[in-house]
This record gives sequence, C-alpha cells and structure tokens, in this order.
Amino acid sequence: METSVRDEILAKLKAAPKAEVPTRPSLPPYKTLSMDREQLIAEFTARLAEEAVVVHRVKDLQEALDRLTVVAAEEGLKKVMTSTDDVISRLDLASWGRKNGIQVMTPRDFPDRYSYRDAVFDQAQAGITGADFAVAESATIGLIVNKDQARLVSVAPILHIAIVPVDRLVPVYEQAIEKVFGKKGEYPSQFVFITGPSMTGDIQGVLFKGMHGPRKVIVILVG
Amino acid sequence: MEIKTEQFTELAKKELKNERSRLFLKLIPPVMKAKREAGMGSLPDAPAAMACGAAMRAEVLARLPELLEEFEKNAKANGMKVVWARDDKEANEFIKNLAKEKGIKYVTKGKSMVTEETALNELLEKHGIEVWETDLGEFIAQQLHRPPFHIVGPAINVPVEEVRDLFIEKIGLKEPTLDPVQLGYAARLFLRDKFHHVQMGITGVNMAVAETGTIINVENEGNIRFTKSSPPVQVSVMSLEKVIPTMKDALHMIRLLCRNCTGQRLSVYISMDSGPKKKDEVDGPEELYLVIVDNGRSKIYQDAKAREALRCIRCGACLVACPVWRQVGGYAYGWAYSGPMGQILNPMLLGLDRTQELYRASTLCGACKSFCPVGIDHPSLFLYYRAKDVLGDPNFKSIDRPWTERQFFKMWSWAASTPWAWNMGVRMARPIMNKDAQNGVVRKAKGPFGGWFRTRDIPAMAVDTFHDRWKKIKKERG
Repeated sequence: METSVRDEILAKLKAAPKAEVPTRPSLPPYKTLSMDREQLIAEFTARLAEEAVVVHRVKDLQEALDRLTVVAAEEGLKKVMTSTDDVISRLDLASWGRKNGIQVMTPRDFPDRYSYRDAVFDQAQAGITGADFAVAESATIGLIVNKDQARLVSVAPILHIAIVPVDRLVPVYEQAIEKVFGKKGEYPSQFVFITGPSMTGDIQGVLFKGMHGPRKVIVILVG
Repeated sequence: MEIKTEQFTELAKKELKNERSRLFLKLIPPVMKAKREAGMGSLPDAPAAMACGAAMRAEVLARLPELLEEFEKNAKANGMKVVWARDDKEANEFIKNLAKEKGIKYVTKGKSMVTEETALNELLEKHGIEVWETDLGEFIAQQLHRPPFHIVGPAINVPVEEVRDLFIEKIGLKEPTLDPVQLGYAARLFLRDKFHHVQMGITGVNMAVAETGTIINVENEGNIRFTKSSPPVQVSVMSLEKVIPTMKDALHMIRLLCRNCTGQRLSVYISMDSGPKKKDEVDGPEELYLVIVDNGRSKIYQDAKAREALRCIRCGACLVACPVWRQVGGYAYGWAYSGPMGQILNPMLLGLDRTQELYRASTLCGACKSFCPVGIDHPSLFLYYRAKDVLGDPNFKSIDRPWTERQFFKMWSWAASTPWAWNMGVRMARPIMNKDAQNGVVRKAKGPFGGWFRTRDIPAMAVDTFHDRWKKIKKERG
C-alpha cells in the first residue's frame, strides 16, 4: 500500500529513540500582574512612549471624538479608512467625518476586496481602529480580525490611530490569548499583537520607524 | 544560493581583509549584545526563563511526531491546507505548481530561512515567476545576490553607498542619498506597489502551535502582515521542528525570541493565523497552505544527541556572542545559516563531509551556549561531529581526515598509551624543543607545529623530568 509523504515522515519520527519530557522550572510572575488599574495605565503609557507612540488620555467617547478632530487637523487628514469594530461603531465616525470634511471609508463600502484594497493602499491617509486588548507588559495592542476588523486597515495606511478603552487593558499577553483562543475550534482567522509603529535596522543597523507598516501610531486612551 | 560550506577558511580569510565588514563587526555586535542583555534584564528571572525555554524545546523534540499530528489536525479543522514535503525538491515543486495553477506572475515573500535552504526563489524564477523578498535586509541581499551576513539582519553589513547604488539601479531611486532612513523609505514605496497587487504571498513560520492549529509570525517591518493580508492565496512554509505545544508556551518563546534577537520586549507585529479568511471578511487569504518540510530533519532526529540542533528558534544571539563570527561575519559560513547555529545545523543538513571546517572553526569558548535561550550546547555538538567525522560514520556522511593527519594521530595515541615510548619520545624531543627557548619559555618553533606557537607559548621542557626525579628518589630511598 502506498504510504503518503506525511505517513512516511511521521513513521520515521516515531521510529526514533524516545526521550524523556523534562520538567520545567517555575517562573516568577511578571511585575505587571501585581499592578492595579492606574498603575497598569501608567505602565502602558510609559511603554507606548518608549515606542514613540503618541498617547492622548481622554475621559469618554465624546472627548475621544473631540481629540480625534484635533489629531485629524494636526495630521492634515482628509480621507481615512476605519474598522467597524465595537469601539469604532460606538463613535459614529460617519457623522464625525461629515461634520469635519473628512471622507470616512470602511472596508464594506466597497463592492469587492480589490477595490477596497486599492482604497486602503492609495487613498487612506490613516487607518482608525479600536482595540480588543491593550497589554501593559509592552505597550501592545491586540486586534482580533473578523468582518468588522479587516487586516489591512491597521497596516497599510501610513498612520494608525487606535482608540483604546482602558477596560481593555490587561497586565500580560496570556489574558488576551486566553480570551481569543478560549473556545476550542472557534479561533479568529487572525489575531495580531501590535507594538508601536513599524520599524527596521536592516541598513547598517540604523533604526527607523515606518518600514512597510505605519510610520506613526497614535493611541487615544479612553476612560 | 550556491552552497560554499567547504570554503570556510578561504572565505574567512577574504572577509578578514574586508575593511567595511571589519568596521561593522567592531561597532554593531557589541550594541546588539548590550540590547540583548537589557532585554533579558526586563524579565523577572532571566536564567529561569532560559531554562524554561530549554525545557520547552526539549519537550517539543521528545514529543515531535505527536505534536505534529496534533498541529495538523487542528490546523486542518481551522481550514488550513496542510502539505508535507520530504525534501527541498518536493517543497519547491508544490509551491511552483500551485503558483502556475493560479496563474501567478509574482510573489511577495516574508522572511523564510527554510525557503533559502530549499532555494525556492531560484526554482520559481526559473519557471517565470518573479520573487520579491520584502524584508528590507532580505530584499537588499536578494538584489545583490549575496548570502545573509546575519540571520536576522541579512544585509546589515552592506555599506550605504552600495545600497544607494543598488537602489538607483534596481528601484529607480531618484535622489542619491546616503541616509539609511531615506533609502528605507524608497524601498518602502517600491515594495508597497508589490504588496498592493500581489496575488500569492509566501511566508515562513516562527512557531506552529499544536494546541490550536495556529501559525505565528514575528516581525518588525510589517512585510509579513502585508503578505498575509493582501493576496487571496497564502503559502506558509515551516521546517518540522517549529511546532510548540500550547499557546502559553508560544508566548514564553516569543518573549525569549524577541529579547534574544533584538533586545525588544516584543517585536512590532506578532500575527497569529488559524486558517484562511472567514466568509464575511474583506481581506486575507481565501486559501492558506501550510507546507511542512523535512529536508533531512527526520534523519537528524534519529540521533539522540544531534537532534539538540533542532531546538534552535533562529534568534541569532549566538552569532553576536561568537568570537569567530565577530571576526569574519556571515559570508564565510557559505550558506543560509551562519555562526554557531549554522555550525551545528549545516553539518547535519549537508553532511559532515561538506562542512568539515565549520564544526572545527571554534575555540569551544561556550559563549554561544551561554546566550542560547533554548539551552543548545553548541561546543559539545562540535566535539560530537568531530568525533563522528574521524570515526567515519556513514550516517553523517563523514569522510576520512588527510593521510598525514591520520598517521600522526595514530602514532600519537600509540605513544600516549605506551609509557616507555612516551618517555623516550620526550627525551628525544627535548633538545629540539628547548633549542628555541628563551628564559625558560618556548615562544616559537619551525616546521609543522610553528602555527601552534603563533598565539601561544609553552614552558621549556625540564632537563630533569618528573619521571627522572621520581626514579632518583626511589633509588635513594632504596
């Protein structure tokens, strides 16, 4: 009987000498695990600053919109692409855009993936998303990809603006992962941790921001 | 990429004369070392974290077939198409045929060392499919037709003047600038166009999580995210040892990888794919192929000692630790993998015969071992390979050492186990050795052993040896 390539490789591996599974040493807890809400916010903000992320702290969603208006003026934004996730959908950016003379596009405005792709590459000056998680351990934003959170919105435009409610803040990555991968077999097609703007040091070790992904990330921390 | 692992000594000598490489190697590795130290210092207990990393990777190897089966089952349940390849040809053929079937004109590639190993790019180009490496360093190395200088920063040693000239020629750089930032921005624009219209993207895999059937990619630039998000077809290629048991384990390994690689707590983008896009999603792959590549690893796996080389997670820390790599850089090692990790992997993948100089180019100082987040004992592997080589183990494709060397060591081991012959030899050698002694120290010698003395001294041999004095004392005591 013909064995498949898979079976052949696995058979070879199974025929090899057995080894013991070593025990793992215990690890002390990360320091963010013992922080309270305010300390976590301070830690998160400090880490963001290290990554050259601009942070705006606001009280509520109305203030967030006001701050967004200021940011849009500072950045000269006329056309943006946004997600339709649960944070963004609470902001009614369509009205905000009309009021401020900014064209607010969402992925599903487009008839197909290719016309959306053209827009997010060539027209959107900024991508605006919410955040499913914010991890204090390292200024990291977690985004679950789904019908309301398209992938390219947070990577193609040169500016990424993330609206982060403080109740999304967790001390370590594990808590985000537990929620995202909690239900067996019901995983998002993609989950991404984003820590600051894109960067590289590939030419003579000189570090700079904005290689392929966004050159600038702005966080509006709400609450 | 042409494999030149047999030419280590030649290539190393050439690189030692390369002024720019030497300048780079003087300046950058200490910076990388310092960053790594600072990064590891941000962990509550770095040695425990490393010991845990070592235990995790040892567990992966102990449970490898079972974890691969678990990963495959869960990945397929998520909608991934899992393909197995015994060797480089099978892996490359599959990808080439897929691209042809889909009418693909070009692909964008996220960094994948295993596809450098299989020489995928060359095969695709031969069949009329353009390949664009998109990691800035890989892009530069690809356009210059050079192997990687460092596994994480493949073109980090290339002087800005060369990059400028390359970009003027290849990507239509308008302003001749020497500013790495401006050059990077020019590359961004050029490659952005490729991402915009790409129909098939190829990535590597940093970790494949068995528990959930998820593949994880770690990057700073965003080229992998583009490659996974823009086209309707994604092919991710992994060598079979990249599997990890659980998501929590993967998080620990990511903490170690990022700190050991660049000193960061986390690289800018950690993207975790558990399958193709869902029906109602607007971007991402309609089809996600996961190619699991063997290419000699199941054979390495048969040897309980050599399989330790499969723990490697490609962090690159051993390169900046190594006093040899820090003198000669990556080109001398002659293939995709350089530094100590290349010295343990290349001999296993290519055979001990083609890599004889690689596992001998070490002072066994152990710096690599002390940096390794997964506890690989590189020096003991070098010694193991040297022993296998000399013993002529066919499994490892070892070949004999030169005739004169073999005869010398035959004589040496006979003399060293035959006391009367040894003592006689000492008496005969003493006047010759001590002829060049000055103030009781021999600093140089002529002939075949002259090289040993180039950087070492030895005390002159005693006129009255221990054996002589012992005999005398015994006689005196009666």
